[in-house]
Amino acid sequence: MEQIGYMNGPSHLDAVFAALADPTRRAILARLATGEASVNELAEPFAMSQPAVSKHLKVLEKAGLIERDIDRQRRPARLKAEPMAAAVHWLEEFKRFWSSSFDELDGLLDQLKTSDTKGAGNG
Amino acid sequence: MADLPTYVLEREFDAPRELVWKTWTDPDLLVRWYGPRVETIVHRLDLTPGGLWLGEMRWDGKSNYQRVEYTEVAPPERLVWLHSVSDGEWNVIANPMMPDWPRVLLTTVTFEEDGGKTRLRLTWVPHEASEAEIACFTAALAGMEKGWGAGMDLLAELLADLQA
Repeated sequence: MEQIGYMNGPSHLDAVFAALADPTRRAILARLATGEASVNELAEPFAMSQPAVSKHLKVLEKAGLIERDIDRQRRPARLKAEPMAAAVHWLEEFKRFWSSSFDELDGLLDQLKTSDTKGAGNG
Repeated sequence: MADLPTYVLEREFDAPRELVWKTWTDPDLLVRWYGPRVETIVHRLDLTPGGLWLGEMRWDGKSNYQRVEYTEVAPPERLVWLHSVSDGEWNVIANPMMPDWPRVLLTTVTFEEDGGKTRLRLTWVPHEASEAEIACFTAALAGMEKGWGAGMDLLAELLADLQA
């Protein structure tokens, strides 16, 4: 299996799932998928107070799903999808490892069948 | 047990079951297919319940080790083992790239004869896993099932679903 360059493993997948369970937070993520946004910009379409939006952003940030700019005054939030992708990636590597191995096994079995003069029941 | 996430991989081989079994259990044959494009070394293969298969895979000048402990050996139809990543001294370790990946996966391989062909079924279930390990494995399975995967932005997919 080749090395995968993710910085964090999905050590807080529970947090990720909890974060995604809430429809408002999913809507916030959907909005951020179109580009970064400030708390003000996020609060507007949801008819929510800024503190309420901030609360949701904190949950999303803790889950590693978004990041927020600390240097700029309006602290825009932006998407960060790596934590969730990492687990899927790993299983894919696992599957790829086995599938490629099976391809090799196909070839080996062909060789063994033709070289096996004792006949292992083929035909 | 029943509610643990299970990953299943199936494949049909155009060879009789006895021969397929041999390729999984004879170390000289095993190294010829297991671990494609890497150098595979079998340090030990003791094909009995409680016996170990200690394997090394080398590529790019580095070694990765795996420790397999057989729990069930029923030729030529069923092979069950506990699969782990290990260090060079064969101690079970967490996956270096994925700390929450299950340390031990119960791996079951069944070989089913079908008119000179062999239907093989490989399943993985987390073994004595922590909640975090099960969550990690579950997330991976869920992602695979939805067709999310390598090179794809998982969240973007999810969001596309939500926006549809």
